[in-house]
Amino acid sequence: MTVRTMPAQPSRAAGPAGPETELWRGMLWVTWRQHRGVLISVPAAFIVAVTVMLAAGLKIRHDYATLTACHPATSPGCLQLSNGFHTDWHLGNAIRVALLAAPVLLAMFAGPPVVARELENRTFRYAWTQGIGRVRWTVAKLTYLGSAMTIAALIISQLFTWLFVPFLTTEDLTVLSPAVFETRGVVYAAWTLTAFCLGAFLGALIRRVLPAMAASLGAFLFLVALTWLYLRDHYPVRTYWPMQAVEAGWLLAGCALLVAGTLWLVRRHAA
Amino acid sequence: MSVLALPAQPVQGAAPALRPVPWQRMIWVTWRQHRGMLTSVTAVLAAVSLFLLIAGLKVHHDYTALVNCRTACGAMNQSFNNIDWTMGNTILILMNLAPALLGIFTGPAVLARELETGTFRYAWTQGIGRLRWTIAKLVLLAAVITVLAWAFSQLFAWFFDPFLGFEGMNVLAKTVFDTRGVDFAAWTLVAFAIGAFLGMLIRRIIPAMAATLGVYLALDLLAWLVLRQDYPVAIDTTNASLFSGPNTPDSPWILKTWTVGNTDWWRYIPVSRFWPMQFIEASWLLILAVALGAATVWLVRRRAA
Repeated sequence: MTVRTMPAQPSRAAGPAGPETELWRGMLWVTWRQHRGVLISVPAAFIVAVTVMLAAGLKIRHDYATLTACHPATSPGCLQLSNGFHTDWHLGNAIRVALLAAPVLLAMFAGPPVVARELENRTFRYAWTQGIGRVRWTVAKLTYLGSAMTIAALIISQLFTWLFVPFLTTEDLTVLSPAVFETRGVVYAAWTLTAFCLGAFLGALIRRVLPAMAASLGAFLFLVALTWLYLRDHYPVRTYWPMQAVEAGWLLAGCALLVAGTLWLVRRHAA
Repeated sequence: MSVLALPAQPVQGAAPALRPVPWQRMIWVTWRQHRGMLTSVTAVLAAVSLFLLIAGLKVHHDYTALVNCRTACGAMNQSFNNIDWTMGNTILILMNLAPALLGIFTGPAVLARELETGTFRYAWTQGIGRLRWTIAKLVLLAAVITVLAWAFSQLFAWFFDPFLGFEGMNVLAKTVFDTRGVDFAAWTLVAFAIGAFLGMLIRRIIPAMAATLGVYLALDLLAWLVLRQDYPVAIDTTNASLFSGPNTPDSPWILKTWTVGNTDWWRYIPVSRFWPMQFIEASWLLILAVALGAATVWLVRRRAA
């Protein structure tokens, strides 16, 4: 792994933007080299998830349309359809569980290795003395990995919202029900980003990958439990989009704090 | 970490053949190398056990009050449902995930860490030799983790008992069956074995952890959706009266129904077949774990040091 140190004369290849941009572009390559595992599996999972949700969503909405078009609703034929729709619910619910599990897995597998792996293997002595410097190195990694995950999560949650609409009627759920609310809007992307930032912070704090993974798992689950059982009841608003805004707001504020904490820990670490 | 090297001259009274390093030395080695993992797993399980104990006493107390209630029971029922059952259900879900989590945090690190850091070149050239070193470690760690898991599942079974009556669930339901008897311990053992094997195969800890999670989930789904339907404990009957009435903890588990001519047939498993089912599942899981252990040892053997 190398990031080019600054040449004595700015090279011609630096371009009009200057050698600064070249460093950030170099960090793209570094992030790719160091985190190929995450950067391959997350897009792969994304593609699989999109395909599955498109196929399942079309089926579910088709079955639901057939169900609602069936008259009279209490006839044996229509009741049969209603029972058949139960299989669609199992499918939709399984997808929902997978969606809710994704941030947990990211907190465990994607977050801690960013900083903790360098610290555990002592390769930080090499990585942090490259031309870009340790703080910008960390900022670049967190930004590139974090934005990839957040954008993927945003797309997935919109697709899932489209898929899940029929069940809001058939399963007596509302958009504010726990485990429904966080799969929609902007909140899902915010939770995904928070999971990643929490993992990275705990990795920088604990400095060993495996304990950091366990701690991230525990901390993230604790945060989810706290939100479900306590925080959501104390929001100053009660309707859907304001609540989404409030939750995304404090989650992103939390992310900013966690990232600041990570950078501070990286900065003060003795080389 | 050191295992006694053999002295140049055999010790006074030793047999003419060189005496091999005794197995007991590996207990100390395993402890030294995995004390972090063993203490953290024990600490986490102990903390959760303490919580289950305290919460369980509350749940049992509330349920007894509910059962003995004679007048104005609606509010008590509501409170039990909202507070106790919500907590119980959440812990049930986490309990179903627990074997996977225990497996991924304990299994891969055993061997993959040596390979990842290159210390296998030192560890495997000690007096005891790489095969006995691996076998001793895997057996010791598997035994400790399985016993801890078994004890933990007994406590959880006690904690969850009131909810079986409250929700009309029976012990054959998948989420409940996996968390009691010997099944929880067996699944934890298999998760550990999968982790150790994939750790040796993939030779990097974090990819091995991810792979272990995937393989374990696939195996769990397979057992749930396919294998459990075919255990030789099911009974076929035409007696419909067994299945009428509300769901109670004693209701049988219906696998499938079909019609032959004018009669309806049911294939079901009565609750009395709980322990045979547990032993069947624990047996094939144990065989699988041993097979994975053997495969791990074989991989250790053929890897060039």
